[in-house]
Formats: sequence, structure tokens, C-alpha cells
Amino acid sequence: MKKFARDIYKNRVWLLMVLPGTIWLLIFSYLPMFGQVLAFKKFRIDPDGFFASVMNSEWVGWSNFKYLFSTDDAWVITRNTLVYNIIFIVVGLLAAVGTAILLSELMNKRLSKVYQTSILFPHFISWVIGSYFVFTFLSTEHGLLNHVLGWFHIDAVSWYSESKYWPFILVFMSLWKGVGYGSIVYLASIVAIDRTYYEAAMIDGATKWKQIKHVTLPMLKPLMIILTIMNIGRIFNSDFGLFYQVPRDSGALYSVTNVIDTFVYRGLMNLGDIGMSTAAGLYQSFVGFILVLITNYIVRKVDEESALF
Amino acid sequence: MPELGQNQLGVDLSSTVKVMKGSKVKKGRKKHRDPRALSPAVNTIITILLGILAFACIFPFIYVIIISFTSEESIVRNGFQIIPKNWSMDAYHYLWSMKEQLFRSYGVTIFVTIVGTVISVFMITFYAYAISRPQFKYRRFFTFLAFFTLLFSGGLVPTYIVVTQFLHLKDTIWALILPLSMNAFYIIIMRTFFLKSVSESILESARIDGASELRIFFQIIFPLSLPGIATIALFSTLGYWNDWFTALLYINNPDLVPLQALLMKIEANLEFIRQNMDVANMQLSIFSTIPQESAKMAMVVIATLPIAVSYPFFQKYFISGLTIGGVKE
Amino acid sequence: MKKKLVVLLALVLSIGTILSACSSKDSSSAEKDGKNGQPYEIKWYTIGTPQKDTDKVFAEVNKYVKKKINATVKMTQIDWGDWAQKSQVMINSGEPFDIIFTNGTDYVQNAQKGAFLPIDDMLNKEGKDLKNVIDPALLEGIKVNGKVYGVPTNKEAARQSVYTFNKRLVDKYHFDLSKVKSLEDLEPMLKVIKEKEPKITPLATFKAYLPYDYIFNNEMPFAVAFNGDRDHVVNQFESDLAMSTYKTMHSYYKAGYLKEDAATSKESWPMDVENWFVRMGDSQPYADLLWSRSAKYDVVSVPVEKPVTINDSVSGSIQAISATSKNPKKTMEFLTLLNTDPYLRNLVDKGIEGVHYKKDKAGKIEDLPARIDNYNMPTYSLGNHFILYLYKNDPKDKWEKFKDFNESATAAPTLGFHFNSDPVRSELAAITNISKEFYPALATGSVDPEVYLPKLNKKLKDAGADKVLKEIQKQFDKWKSTQK
Repeated sequence: MKKFARDIYKNRVWLLMVLPGTIWLLIFSYLPMFGQVLAFKKFRIDPDGFFASVMNSEWVGWSNFKYLFSTDDAWVITRNTLVYNIIFIVVGLLAAVGTAILLSELMNKRLSKVYQTSILFPHFISWVIGSYFVFTFLSTEHGLLNHVLGWFHIDAVSWYSESKYWPFILVFMSLWKGVGYGSIVYLASIVAIDRTYYEAAMIDGATKWKQIKHVTLPMLKPLMIILTIMNIGRIFNSDFGLFYQVPRDSGALYSVTNVIDTFVYRGLMNLGDIGMSTAAGLYQSFVGFILVLITNYIVRKVDEESALF
Repeated sequence: MPELGQNQLGVDLSSTVKVMKGSKVKKGRKKHRDPRALSPAVNTIITILLGILAFACIFPFIYVIIISFTSEESIVRNGFQIIPKNWSMDAYHYLWSMKEQLFRSYGVTIFVTIVGTVISVFMITFYAYAISRPQFKYRRFFTFLAFFTLLFSGGLVPTYIVVTQFLHLKDTIWALILPLSMNAFYIIIMRTFFLKSVSESILESARIDGASELRIFFQIIFPLSLPGIATIALFSTLGYWNDWFTALLYINNPDLVPLQALLMKIEANLEFIRQNMDVANMQLSIFSTIPQESAKMAMVVIATLPIAVSYPFFQKYFISGLTIGGVKE
Repeated sequence: MKKKLVVLLALVLSIGTILSACSSKDSSSAEKDGKNGQPYEIKWYTIGTPQKDTDKVFAEVNKYVKKKINATVKMTQIDWGDWAQKSQVMINSGEPFDIIFTNGTDYVQNAQKGAFLPIDDMLNKEGKDLKNVIDPALLEGIKVNGKVYGVPTNKEAARQSVYTFNKRLVDKYHFDLSKVKSLEDLEPMLKVIKEKEPKITPLATFKAYLPYDYIFNNEMPFAVAFNGDRDHVVNQFESDLAMSTYKTMHSYYKAGYLKEDAATSKESWPMDVENWFVRMGDSQPYADLLWSRSAKYDVVSVPVEKPVTINDSVSGSIQAISATSKNPKKTMEFLTLLNTDPYLRNLVDKGIEGVHYKKDKAGKIEDLPARIDNYNMPTYSLGNHFILYLYKNDPKDKWEKFKDFNESATAAPTLGFHFNSDPVRSELAAITNISKEFYPALATGSVDPEVYLPKLNKKLKDAGADKVLKEIQKQFDKWKSTQK
């Protein structure tokens, strides 16, 4: 006990630094986690407020989770979610790092600035508006793409009912919106790399490519690992707008656009069941959590410095 | 060339401060060929490649601007055109007619964004810096504490209760600021940044000089970490500027509705009409809430432009990082 | 790691306890309101865009209500599009308030969940006058498990789907609308329009009508037929009628009478854009007049069905008393006053006389600019229609016609039956997804029903539709036995 008190005293500066953040986390993140028990309850409203409601609702075991596994479709959506996220993580990482390196190498710094501003733009546009843009390209009647196909005497494609194109469209749109944001994280990191490393490499006669390979990438490695670990934690979640608004909720595309989040949203429309939606969230988080622990464990075995914790 | 480990990095960085001081001198010197410069051919290819990417990203925004200047009749008849048949300023006239609400919403958004960003940058950098220091005995615990919230959230209703019934923030400006002021994602990014770019040896020497940890933080760490801090600040700013969901939940008072929420309300109202055509057809007051297509796009323009234009402000700090190595802006 | 989790858990729980202690203290202190002579403030949440003059009007309302029942009212409007999410969060969080607007399945679900107070007893005491004015069919129709959970708005209680035509085009080509009885009868007209009016889309996108009484909604495969066997719940997509109707629709689609993207289109076909020939909608007495007025050109409707009272039509607008209300009796008194007192009802709806509207000698009213700009309230969500002032251009017998309309309607087979979905929730989640996948395309004729209907039915079977049908039938039979 005495040792504990001494440790606290010794670490007082650090503790003081994490204090505001910790208070925030406790109030805004940990306190509401109480609600997760609803995943195991049949929610009934009690006049004495939410706590009473939670306490007095009946335990129903795992039955709120059942719908996530009970049908063939449920497996299809799990597969979709996983496959899309793996592609997004890999392609997103390559694109973001690649763009960041290219931006940092660009000689004309003023142009680089303009480019940075532009690629960040899609981040501002909500998927609702984004779905309009996609529509102007893909609309069967007036769409730009069908116009272009017309020039080459190719028959118009009914884009919103042909599921085979959508995996590409979705990956493309995800990149379009995310690459600017991602590349700026990496760019900030590249900018912070000590220039003397490059100078040393130059003296050693390293080519540009070697400099990137042996200086830039190793320096970015910790960040890449951390961001990937975090993305793996959200591998069962997906960007709702991308999968719901962009394909315009078209039934013909469900086989390739239905992911866990959209499945849950549609499935609970007629039920309005807060227990079942909590269950879905808990399931997504829990799987993510396990995957993160595993990944982190592996990373720690290989390279302790890069591990998250 | 061997891979650069953390230790090597530490040793080398101890000289960074000196290099940084020296850079001012370097900057004043005549332009010399940067040792890192690309060959012109490669540079051209990259310039074009990135140019295409940049255009693909910005094109939709140009498109939105064009649509906002298209006459409504032209939209109804010909759809969205890249070069519309009839131009019109009607959309902006319409927006001018609701200028009171717009200006107020602008005010709310700007206040929330500035105050929110300042608060979150301080909270995040403090937290991240502490958990990046090996001297801090509980760093793994606090890292985990933050990380855990990335995966497990409390859910909508419990969070709502905390904000409205515990903190009593409903219909106050703080309801728009506090719920977004921390983000574990940014903490982790910042922590990685500090781990990599702030070496113990600089701190050691400062500590020997008798500087307190807080003084070290403000006088050495803060300037050294500007690229990272600017990134976090940028992301927070974006987060606050684009946020509409907290307003949806916690704000009833029209005087406190931020800009993005105003925009989303219009979208949501349209969706309501689509799903409740029969109610809408009988209750004509619903339709009065819906502006025309071009006006909607004009809203997008005025909601996006200011924040996009302020981006170069953040960029300055990335660039200031570049000058350390003597590369000219 | 384990240790950390335990510490964390303990922390969360301990803070949770503090919080719950806080919130329970809150409720006890607030309860005293309204009992020691202080006027009780009634918190009222309703749908619609917040209006600038709400405070002004409610200052008047409060003067009146304070005098009458010693209470004041704080009304808060939540915008149309925000309503669904926000009201649900408020209800689930157990926030204390008194009155909330609700309708349709939301009403049933929340009543089943215990969010609303049953008002049967109060209807015989505080709400006696109210019970006298509300159409008994409405009160009967909104019963959930035999209890009334809210005050229905006195308005049209039945639904009548109609085909609405653009009158200018009907006159131009001398179409005989009296022949229109079904979807098939539209064909010759659509053909003419398609050929001669290139700027007009013959069919403003709608979902083909099937004469069924739906347990959930028209997408879900659980329904009872209006005609014929009214005792059994069936999958309407297995009927021959569905096949033939969707085939007709598909032939229309192929002929280009509908927009090509009908199944996914987000177009809302506003009346005031004259780009359509026929559309489908739900009618009410003098609907054509209302529509023509908003369209600024004439429209004319032909009924598809006789007026029928269904669950959705009786629960179109309900004011429920929250289970968290601190003073339900006072709240009931207010709702009674609102629905029976013409002065109060019109004040809430139309605003202040002389400011928001003016009244002529005959008692008819006209909106002033201030109402359109600053107090544009939706009428259907606020209460009894039959005591509202008539507008200058309203027919004199408007409300009588409404009453006639309601009386002429036949009750649907499942009127008053509300399915408890608890035993089959997993199946329903999957089935909803499947229905959404197929229904819009089938009902707009975008796909060939010969191929897609069997596909849909197979998928539904695999997802357990039969089990759900059985469960509904069981509950339906039980419910029916209590009705006789």
C-alpha cells in the first residue's frame, strides 16, 4: 500500500496529464457501457428512468444474438463485411502511404499544397451527397458512364441492378473518400522524420527508391502497424452510408452490398428492438477486440516496440 | 543500409534541436539543389499522377458549385449537367432569405469548432504524451483504457442519458463540444508520434538542467511536435465542423443548430416525405421545409468552403516541419 | 489483463450506482409539482419543423389553460426527419415528459414496451368529455392487449386508396374514368399518353396495390385477405393475384410507362410539378380539392377500394401519455380540453386571431402571412379535426363528410389485432431483409415476377416465414376468440 502511494507520488506529473482525458473517458465512454447488458435483456421501459428499465428488464440469455447467425443470409453478410474490410485495410494502407510519399517527394511544394487540399475534399462530403454524385455517373438514363459507353457503341448498363460491378465501385468510393484523410496522417509523420537520415543515406549512395525503402518506410512502420491494428478492431463494422446510401438501397445489389450494419438496420426496422441492436454492436466489438489482442500479441512477438500495448 | 531502430533514432534526434536552430541560417542561404530532389522525369510523372487524383477528388465539389448555380427548371428538365443550359442565382437568393438562421448557425459552428479543437488538442496531447513516456509506470494501463473505448462504446441511449440526465447539457452549447472532445483514435496516433519523434535524451538533458516536466512539455515537446499536433487539430476541426449527429440528439433550440445539422435536417426531411407520401400530401406545411435542389447544393457549398479554405493554415505546420531539413517551401 | 478488466468493471459499476442514485433523487423531488397549488407544467413533444412564433402562441395558450385547469404547457417540436430517431432515444432513455405524438407501428411497439400509460380508467374520469367526442372506432382500433394507450386524433379513420389522374390530360384525350376498376384498366390510357405526351411519365412511380390487410406492412409476407378468407394469415406473395398484378406491372415497366429506375428511385413526385399522368395515393373526403390547390392544376381521383378501417389508418395520429409523466391526470385534463375546446384547439393549430389568421362573419378563416412564415403547424398531429375552423374555400360540410366517410368504412379483419413479435424476432430480422431485397423491384414491375416471385418465396421459406405465419395465426386466433 505504501509502495502504491509512493508510486502515485512519483508519477504525479504523468497522472496529472492523463487526468482530464481519463475523466472524459470515464464519463463519456465507460459510464455508458453499462448499457451493454441490454444485449442480454428484453428491454421494457420502466417509469423510473433508464436504470430502472435496465434493471427490471428480463434476462433472455443469448436470444438477442440469434438473428445474426440463424440464416444463410446472415453468413453472407458476415462474409461481405469481412472481405470488404480486409480489402479496405490493405488497399487503403497502400494508397494512403503511397500518396503520402508521393506528396512529400513532389518538388513543387506549392502544387503539393494544392493537391493536399483537393484530396482531402471528399472527406467533407456526406454519403448522402456522395450518393448523388455516384448517381450522376451511374444513372441508367442520364448517367455519364452510359453516355461514354454509347460513344463506343456499348449497350447501356443498368448499374443499380448489376451486382457484379459493385465490389469495385464500393472499393473505389471508399478510397475516394478515405485516401486524403489517411495520407495526411502519414504525411505528418514523414514530415517529422529527421532529414539527417536522408543525408546519411545520400552519402552512402542510396537511390531514391532505396531511401524510401530504408528510411521512410521503416520510420512509418510503427504508425502503419498501429493504424492497421485499430482497423482490425473494427473489421466487423462498416461505413453505413457507403453500403446503404451509395447503392441507393437497391435490392438487386444486396448480395454484394449487404453488410452487418445494413442487415441490422433493415432487420430491426419492423421490430425496433434495442436489445437486438445492442447485441449486434457487442458482437462486432467483441470479435474486433479478440482480433486486436491476437494481432497485438503477434506484433509484440515480432517487434515489441511497435506493439500497441 | 541497416534498418533504423528506436535507439539509433534517439541518439540522432538529440542533435535535432541543434539542426533546427541551424536551419534558420540555412534558410537564408542561396538556393542549392536539394540532395533529395527527384529527377525531372519522375517528378513530372508524379505530378501528373497526383494531379489526376486531386482532380478526381475535387471534381465533385466543382460539380456541386455548378449545380448550385443551375436554374431549377434546367435541373428538372435536364438533370445535373456539367455545363447547364440555364444559369441562375436563385439558390443563393433563397439562402439569403434565411440569412438569420444561417448566420446564427455559422456562429454556432465556428464557436464550437474553435473551442472544441482547443480543448481536444490539449486533452489529447497531454494524455498521449504521458502514455508515451517510459517513466510513467501506468502507461500500459492508460493506453488500454483509451484503446478499449475504440472498440466498445456505450451505445446511443446510455450516452444520451449521461449527457442529458447526468450532466444536464441538453440544449446547451457544451452538448456540441464535450461529447466529441476526446477520441481514442487520435490519442493512439499522437502516442505513436511522440514515441517516434521525441527522444529521451533531449528530455534527459533538460531534466538535468532542472526543468519541470510541464515546462519540458511546453518548451520542448510542443514545438517539436507541431506536425503531429497540427494533424490532430486538423482532424478535430474537421470532426467538429462536420458533426451533425450530436446536434440531432441534444439540440432542440433552433438558435443552437450548427450548419451541418441544418443541412442534414433538410436531407432527413426529404427522406421523411419519401417514406410518408400520404401524410405529406395532406400536410402541406411539410413541403415548405424543403428547398429546391440547387439551394441544397448551395448549402453544401457554404457549409464546406470555409473549412476547406482554412486547410492551408494547418498545412503551414507540416511545412514548418519540412524546413528542419533545409528543404525550402 | 484480467486484473485490469476487473478494475475497470468495478469502476464502471460504482459510477453506475452513483448515477442511478442521482436519477432517482431527481424523480422524487419533481413529483410534488402541481399538487400544492403551483400550476403543473406539461411537457409536450410533437412532430414538425419548430416555428418562430411558438412561444408567442403558447403564452396565449398558457393563459387560457392556467385559468381552466391550473396547468401550463411547454410544447417542443422536433423536425420531421429527426423525429423517428430522436423520439425513440427520448422514450428509451426514460426521459421525463408528459405527452408525445406517436403513430403506426411505433405506437404499438412502444405501448408493448411499456413506454405509454394505459388511459382506459382516465377516459372514464378526467377524460369523460373526450370519450364522447372521439370516434369509438378509433378508440377500439388502437387497443393494444385490450388497453388504450393514447388519445387518437379525430380525423379520417379509414383508408381509401385511389388512382389520381392529371385532369388536363384526361380531358384532352376524353378518357372515360368510370371504367377504371383495376390496374389493368389503365393500359389503354397509358399507351396514348406514352405516344402523344413525350414530356409526361405515364405512371408516377408507385407500388402495385394488393387487396390485403397487412400484419406489418405491404413489404412483409404476412397478410389477411380483405375479400374471401378473412380468418387465415397468408403470404400474399404466394397468391395468384400477386402474380397477375406484378405481371401487369412488369408489362407496364417494359412498355416504358414507368421510369427505368423505379425500384431504386428517390424521386418524390411533388404534385406541383406536372410531369405525370396517373399516381396512387390514399384519399380522404375532398382530397382532390386539396391536391388541386397544392398542384395549381386540377386532378381527379378514382377509388381502388372501398373505404376500409385498418390498424394503420386508426393509428395515424395519436397523443400518448408517457409512462414517465409526473402528473398523468393533469395531462389527461389538458388533452381533453385540447380535443373538446374549439378556442384552444384552433389557437394551437392556427395561431392567434388577428395575428396569424383572420375570421370573417360567417366564421370562416383565412391565413395571414404570419401563419405561413412563423406558425405553419401540421394539423394532423395536434388533435381533433372536427372542431377546427373552416377555411374560406373549404366546403361547408367538410367535417360531416369526414364523419360519413368513417361510418361508411368496413373494418379490416385484423383491426385491433397487434402481433407480439417476441417469439420470432430472429426470423423477422432476416425476413425484413429479404422483403426489402425483392419487394421494391417486384411491386414497381422492374423485374419479371415469373422468375422473382418463386425466388422470393423460396428465400422466405428458408428464413422461417412459415414459423412466423404459424405464430401470427396462433395469436390471431386467440385474439379473435376474445373479440366475440
